[in-house]
Amino acid sequence: MEHTSTLERLIRGVLIALVLLFFLFPIFWIFLMSFQTNEDILRIPPSVLFTPTISNYQALITGKLVTVAGTLDIAFMKNLWNSVLLSTVSVGLALILGVPAAYAFARFKFPLSEDIAFTLLSFRFAPPLLVLLPLSLYYEQIGLTDTYVGLIWVYQLIALPLILWIVRGYFEDISPDIESAYRIAGHSWWRTFTRIAVPLAGPGIAASGLLAFIFCWNNFVFALILASADKQPVTVGSLAFVTASGIQYGQIAAAIVLSITPTLAIALWAQRYLVEGLSLGAVKG
Amino acid sequence: MTAIAAEPVLRRRKTRLLPYILSLPALIVCVGILIPFVTAVYYSMLRFRLNMPAMKGFIWFDNYMSFLSDAEFWNTVRVSLLYTGLTVGFELVFGLIIAMLLQKRTRFNNMASILLLLPLMTAPALAALMWKLMTNPNFGVLSYLVQLLGVTDFKWASAPGSALFTVVLVDIWVYTPFIMILLLAGLRSLPRQPFEAAALDGVPRRFVFFRITLPMLMPYMMTATLFRLLDAIQQFDIIYSMTQGGPGNTLLVFQVRSYLEFYQYTNVAKSATLLVILWAITYALSNVFIKQHLKLRERARGLA
Amino acid sequence: MAQIEVQNLHKSFKTGKVLNGVSLDAETGQIVVIFGPSGTGKTVLLRLIAGVEEPDAGTIMLQGRDMTEAAPEARGVGMAFQNFALFPHMSAYDNIASALTAGPMTAMQIKAKVDKVAALLKITHVMQHAPRELSNGQKQRTALARALVSDPRILLLDDPLRNVDAKLRYEMRLELPSLLKASGSTVLYVTQDYKEAMALGDKIAVLLDGAFVQIATPAEVYRKPASLGVAQLFGDPALNMVPAAPVLRNGAPVFELGGATLAMPVSYAGAAGRDCVIGIRPEALVVEEQPGPGSFPVEVVAVTPLNEKSVLLLRTMDGRELLASEPGDEVASRRHGPACARFDADSILVFDAASGLRIASQLN
Repeated sequence: MEHTSTLERLIRGVLIALVLLFFLFPIFWIFLMSFQTNEDILRIPPSVLFTPTISNYQALITGKLVTVAGTLDIAFMKNLWNSVLLSTVSVGLALILGVPAAYAFARFKFPLSEDIAFTLLSFRFAPPLLVLLPLSLYYEQIGLTDTYVGLIWVYQLIALPLILWIVRGYFEDISPDIESAYRIAGHSWWRTFTRIAVPLAGPGIAASGLLAFIFCWNNFVFALILASADKQPVTVGSLAFVTASGIQYGQIAAAIVLSITPTLAIALWAQRYLVEGLSLGAVKG
Repeated sequence: MTAIAAEPVLRRRKTRLLPYILSLPALIVCVGILIPFVTAVYYSMLRFRLNMPAMKGFIWFDNYMSFLSDAEFWNTVRVSLLYTGLTVGFELVFGLIIAMLLQKRTRFNNMASILLLLPLMTAPALAALMWKLMTNPNFGVLSYLVQLLGVTDFKWASAPGSALFTVVLVDIWVYTPFIMILLLAGLRSLPRQPFEAAALDGVPRRFVFFRITLPMLMPYMMTATLFRLLDAIQQFDIIYSMTQGGPGNTLLVFQVRSYLEFYQYTNVAKSATLLVILWAITYALSNVFIKQHLKLRERARGLA
Repeated sequence: MAQIEVQNLHKSFKTGKVLNGVSLDAETGQIVVIFGPSGTGKTVLLRLIAGVEEPDAGTIMLQGRDMTEAAPEARGVGMAFQNFALFPHMSAYDNIASALTAGPMTAMQIKAKVDKVAALLKITHVMQHAPRELSNGQKQRTALARALVSDPRILLLDDPLRNVDAKLRYEMRLELPSLLKASGSTVLYVTQDYKEAMALGDKIAVLLDGAFVQIATPAEVYRKPASLGVAQLFGDPALNMVPAAPVLRNGAPVFELGGATLAMPVSYAGAAGRDCVIGIRPEALVVEEQPGPGSFPVEVVAVTPLNEKSVLLLRTMDGRELLASEPGDEVASRRHGPACARFDADSILVFDAASGLRIASQLN
């Protein structure tokens, strides 16, 4: 057993506290800012004590900001909706396409399988612009620029390799004898896949799906290049929001809070899956 | 004896085709990646500006050659390498320290490591915005705190001298937890015997750390480092959101420069060339990683 | 019409050729044991018959129908795996019921059948448990139950007692034959344990080097092994092998061992003049103090008492080592040192040195 002196435990505690302070402070501060009026924000010195207001959120949700100068239309809710739509549909599609494909890669050794796996894997690390910039030119030619379909297709480039990589490992961990036993018991290949393989790979599918959702939600550059204002998700939309005129800082803060809440909520609620997916995806694959 | 066939021919053909049908989407995505990739390589060998389409012509490797004597190009290389080195270096050290602080499985430590996930789950572009607000000269809380410490006129991302510092800080804020997770998983999976033996023998802690812990953590550290290297050298979100590459050309890393060449200067060829060079670097690095990773997996499967 | 007819199966993997023209028949209700050392392809053969792997060549007929290309779920066989292969996310009940859920039975009918089989195998009390909560013996019985519950005409059992502890293995070896006979199915039973093979099988098919070298009743395989390889597999300790070149003396074949000239039965006259290997079972060697007819001098080098028998390591005058096995442990007083050994000439087996095949005496 380790004998940790009280001094050491104290130092440990202090260090951890400092670490937590550094990493959690920005989130905390922006959260605070989102409930402040402009006067509160601009006051020096900044203070933790103030009367909170929900006017910033109100403005975002209703889409209208009433100022002295008149009423301003804010389209942030559209951005939020775009994020939700793009992320969920992309991940949903990627799971439907990717899980059977991961099974094929895990169970069958067919020609080209290693090459396809290797290509997808190596492009996970390739610069996205390399694919996006020429793709934007192609999209213009075939009319897919600034469409949900075009974006969901590109988002597959984020979600599919991730899902393939993680879920394949989980399928490979299932003993083939178990699937053989189910088939001998009289069940077709499809039933074996859905009743045996998929449930047993469940944790991996969940982890990869959640991770893929987060990566899609947090993505910036894909939508920056291939979407225009009304299809942009919150990542791009927030940036435009900041540079727009007449917007108050409290609203920017509120927009950021709304934008990061979904992924932070997933992180807190499903952290076990995420950590497993992140570390196993990196180390074990 | 008459033999009654039980779906013979159908079955053979079906099993042959099944894997291909299943992996068709993966194949299509593959093709969907390779076509633009080949196009980009092709563009890098042209003289091609969108606003001067008539001048489009094949010039082989001239773009690459001209970069060698382009001061701007070397600036991009320098900034990218500097950014990569600083972020990965600091994140590795911090991540290791934090992982060691949280090593013991106590409720407090577990809660702390969950909370530390949050910055990692924040979109880097949004993280940059958050820090932008916090460093705003008028109302940013960090500007205020820095003033309290007696440093006047610290311009954070607006000044060439401190812009790199600011974006590196944001990167560290977002990505240190990633390294922490990996190293924490690694630390917790290390076998207990060597440490118990060392404790019994009265080996000093520093020795244990450098000669036992660190070597055993090597695979995890290598994995984490490679991941971060590959991401850092192509960083776009944080820098673009913060300063769009400025002030001036202080933060023009590869992808940012490439983006600006494409959209601001409409120089498709130059943009493509930069990307191909970047790709070559990441390809070489990722090959090392994938080979080592596959080897590790084979070894683990072999033992299982 | 045989229930199972396997003809000329070939199967190779990247590591090499595993089955090289394997043929086998099994009649209704028969228990055929497929026996051989590990890695010889016994499991592969079962998997081919079950439909989980495809043969490179050859045919598989089950109940008179050509099933070579049929999918596993269409073959109507029951199979129990060496590693149990239970579904970890289902209870023992659901594991067993899975063999019936693909069919037209109602839930109540399924329950009746599962309960019946569970009672037969004495695992009723663990029906609701998950596989990870079961002991190895319970897992093995659950796997057996799953194979049996659908009353398959053909049962494939892949070394089901391998991963079970010794005491349970012994009990099961007593229970299984009656269980299998009662089911009336045709059974292919794979094992590496020769005692199991001899206890269970109506027929034993010995698989060596990718082919069946002998398919016969247990008694015949033991008394008249087709080759040296087969003979070595049956018996513990293994057969003593003595290279010899018998010659005829006065019309009777004799051979040299340990400095003595020993007689062989006259019916082996045909072996004279050939290079042979003489097989002497350890049980047939008798070790005594005093020489007798047909004995030769040995030195007792080591004695291993094993309760129901003792094994003696003997060394002849010309340095050959032999193992002898005696019942009981009267050997408590057994001494090391010089002694005499002899054996009943009728009990020997004679094999051709070059091919390893048994040379039959003129009587058999």
